[in-house]
Amino acid sequence: MSEEKNMDLNGADEVVQGRRDFLKHVCTSSAAALVVATSPAEAVEAASNPDADATVAEYFQGHFLLMSDEEKQKAIARLEKRYTAQYSKKTTVSNTEAPDGVLFGYALDIGKCIGCRRCVHACVKENNQSRNDPEVQWIQVMKMPKGNISFTPENLDKGYPEKSEFGDYGVQVGGNAYKTAGLSTEDAQNYYTDDTVPDKDFFYMPVQCQQCEKPPCVKACPVRATFRDHAGVVLIDYNWCIGCRMCQLACPYHARRFNWGEPQLPAEEMNPKTHYFGNRPRMRGVMEKCTFCVQRTREGRNPACLEACPVGARKFGNLLDPDSDVRRVLATKRVFRFKEEYGTYPKFFYYIG
Amino acid sequence: MKTALSFARDFSSFAIKGGRMYYAWLLFLAFFILVGSYTAYLQFTQGLIVTGATDQVTMEAFFANFVFTAHVAAAAVLVVAPGYFYHRKDLKELAVMGEVIAMVFVATGITFVLFHMGRPDRTWHIIPGLGYMNFPNSMLAYDTIVLNVYLLLNLIGVSYILFKKYVGTFHEKQLALWFRPIVFLAIAWGPLIHIVTAFVLASNARVGMWATAVLPFAFLTMAGASGPSLVVLIFLLARKYTKLEIGDPVIDLMTTIIAWSLGILMLVFSAEFFTLLYPSTEHADSLKYNMFGHNGLNMYVPWFWGVMVALVGSFIALLFRKVRHSYDRFLPLVCFVVFFAILLEKPMMLIFPAFSPTPLGEYAEYHVTLIELFNVLFVWALCFLFLTLILKGTIGILTGEVRHDKSSTASQNDA
Amino acid sequence: MANLHIPSKIVALALCGFLMGALSTHELAYSAEKKPAETQSTQPVTDCFESRIGYSAVTRVENADPKYGYPNVKCSQTTGAVLWFGDPFAGTIRMGEMPEITDDTRGDFTNAVVKPREPQLMYYNMGPNGCQSCHDGKTVPYPKSTKPRLITMHQDIVENSLQLMHGHGALWCLNCHSAKNRNHLVDRQGNEFSFNQPQKLCGSCHGENYIDWRKGVHGKRIGSWVTGGKRRWWVCTECHNPHTVQATRFNRLKPEPPPHLPRGMKNADYERAKESGH
Repeated sequence: MSEEKNMDLNGADEVVQGRRDFLKHVCTSSAAALVVATSPAEAVEAASNPDADATVAEYFQGHFLLMSDEEKQKAIARLEKRYTAQYSKKTTVSNTEAPDGVLFGYALDIGKCIGCRRCVHACVKENNQSRNDPEVQWIQVMKMPKGNISFTPENLDKGYPEKSEFGDYGVQVGGNAYKTAGLSTEDAQNYYTDDTVPDKDFFYMPVQCQQCEKPPCVKACPVRATFRDHAGVVLIDYNWCIGCRMCQLACPYHARRFNWGEPQLPAEEMNPKTHYFGNRPRMRGVMEKCTFCVQRTREGRNPACLEACPVGARKFGNLLDPDSDVRRVLATKRVFRFKEEYGTYPKFFYYIG
Repeated sequence: MKTALSFARDFSSFAIKGGRMYYAWLLFLAFFILVGSYTAYLQFTQGLIVTGATDQVTMEAFFANFVFTAHVAAAAVLVVAPGYFYHRKDLKELAVMGEVIAMVFVATGITFVLFHMGRPDRTWHIIPGLGYMNFPNSMLAYDTIVLNVYLLLNLIGVSYILFKKYVGTFHEKQLALWFRPIVFLAIAWGPLIHIVTAFVLASNARVGMWATAVLPFAFLTMAGASGPSLVVLIFLLARKYTKLEIGDPVIDLMTTIIAWSLGILMLVFSAEFFTLLYPSTEHADSLKYNMFGHNGLNMYVPWFWGVMVALVGSFIALLFRKVRHSYDRFLPLVCFVVFFAILLEKPMMLIFPAFSPTPLGEYAEYHVTLIELFNVLFVWALCFLFLTLILKGTIGILTGEVRHDKSSTASQNDA
Repeated sequence: MANLHIPSKIVALALCGFLMGALSTHELAYSAEKKPAETQSTQPVTDCFESRIGYSAVTRVENADPKYGYPNVKCSQTTGAVLWFGDPFAGTIRMGEMPEITDDTRGDFTNAVVKPREPQLMYYNMGPNGCQSCHDGKTVPYPKSTKPRLITMHQDIVENSLQLMHGHGALWCLNCHSAKNRNHLVDRQGNEFSFNQPQKLCGSCHGENYIDWRKGVHGKRIGSWVTGGKRRWWVCTECHNPHTVQATRFNRLKPEPPPHLPRGMKNADYERAKESGH
């Protein structure tokens, strides 16, 4: 019954089994208590309580990448069965591998972005995030001042110290200091509520997981629940994550989101076409983040955020294919990486086209 | 082994016996344990949403208290070290109490980490062999190892000393060969756990307040201030209420350590504040938020200045002999202030303000929830309960009140 | 070494104790703390738009996918905008022949599909023959010259035909609309194009954007990211209203709602404060 990856292939099964049983005895009581504790919940509540029907076998599964193919099939079958029962719709959990010879990259035109936030909500519709309490959104749009309103003549006299014998307005700090202009997170507004966008004195910049080539989150995870697949996408095994949030501390882009409580996902909002590492419904206490819509991109389709953008500011493709949209952007536009001083080499590029 | 069983029995029966104040203290702790059991259950079923943590301020009070227990656990070794390094016989006899404090506080720290995790039921994922430990890369993996080894070292050391004293064979010449190395290893390991904990924080380049070279030094000096403060308070209590003899020089040495630690801490803080505030780059934003607030968000400003005043005031107070030798009044007061100032500095200066501004420029204030507060108190109550019981038994063995009576299986202290 | 186990046993017992003991109070705790999963609104929006309100309408159809049963589009409750496409190619036709240009500017049109513009044009759909229903030479006579003059029809699209908001006075209606064949657009050389292929007209003047559009750098394409894969391209007039582009390149939209504030924060006023303060 216990699916367990074999780290030692030379027949350490018995030893592992022995440790297994010991662990099971110690932990089954708490697991059973948790299961029992949540079973009185009604079916409707169960739809937003993924732990309710998690089996003991699922509890003991090992790291997905270290499983044999047979174990992976069993794990996926378990999940499909659970999700189908919880959300009352036929759910598939895909296990498509990342394509070979592909390195996924993204380019976003902040000259075109109007800050409509459709990408944010498209992502939520596609990826089965918790809808409220807590609300989880993987993309966050910053509204930053262009700078044309940052300078006024009235401020000329407001520097300190006051006008000096040198005849200027104080050599230490000018009155027009402390006003940001251009790309700066210092005065970025994340909760703007404009009536219509774009606001003519501001520009907008959405931020999501930058899929770094040298991800600090992967380095920080104590159990390797988050890792970089060979197509360059940083993924999470939700059943392996222990919820310590070291990755959230390490990420310089505020890209990772945590399920603080049971995710509240209504059954009618649920997207039943899922991937094990992508948009399958998560449980409480695990980390999640943008995966470049791994359930779509591994099948050859564009991510949901790209399809929602009304101005076509988002480009996606294979960085190794010179004919792809994103490579053409890199070739012809002046791109930059967000916070590149952190040395994480993200594959999410911004440009002003 | 019959001796082991009688040791356990005698130890426990001495530990739970005491006067009225003692029982009042135990009942006080029992109340928090009772209430905390319920709130802990709430947290383990509903998840961390019962705390005030958000994606913006992602570390809650448990993590802050974990860092603090690492302070005390690391510093308890300062009771052990002078006895062994400087051949101070009076401290050598009390060394086991330092090890007990270290052991209990490390266990408390591990408990805080369990409360901090989103899925404590998946803790087995980090055990190499059963799960997968990201060993050379992840600082938390290192921390897990060093904390558990420290717990083990102190457990072994404490058990050996107490058992040997119980049966009366604790003589220098008759000690096991591995004992002294274990003690020295534990002495070296104490600062090591704290350096690794500092590295767990300092390894995150995006938190400007933590990604600094002075963090291990700040931690070690705060450990040196808070740990001996607790030790002094415990020694003063033991002097007053038990038969254990603790000479003034012992207390004075601890006080000296506190004073030096506070002094060096002030230097460390000054260096950090200067490096950040003089050029006032984006790295300083978190510190400025802590010191002055930001656009109307002022929650952490009084805490910053309060803690600074408390620490500087305590340092100055400890410079006066009158305070250092006032074992009944001023010294316990100063020790209380230092202990609680550093305890409160952890959440209110080190942890919560450090997350603002987030990488995307958000500022957030952290509001501790009731359930979280009671869970914190639950773990502290467990910590102090074990500390009290084990120290009581230890004192009993040190004073000779708990001794193995070879003539009969019953000990002299039969109830 | 019996006392090795005592502390851990007590802790284990305590942990098991509270789990077992508190189970009886589970119902009380759970129902008190837990909020039921609420949707924002139970009825999904059915009349949606893609880019331009009124000119890119889509109707939501439930159970459009046979396998999973999801709808063709999912739209925003707040703005009615299409957020998510179930089938990106629903309602599309082949783009049609596109001129060959050299290497760097070639577009990958083999598998290109577009949504036809004609069904979205209000006046086109007023009669059985499109615009020709009225502009057949009899009901509305053909103009004798194509010089700019004031026109008192279609003022909901162009208020003043002598001040067309496109080209700063260099253009008026009949520079783009074929005089004798109103179902088609016309360029300066007299070539006529269907409304479904506006890129051929727009690109004849807006070369830079046209080239970028062919490369995939300008404009929107959904579907496959694979080079040579099937893609639905957005054509020019799906996003831009050629009659008002001088006033606004892209019509302003209502944004989607902001994220919830972090727990513990009452408002986000701090981010709008005028003075940075440090």
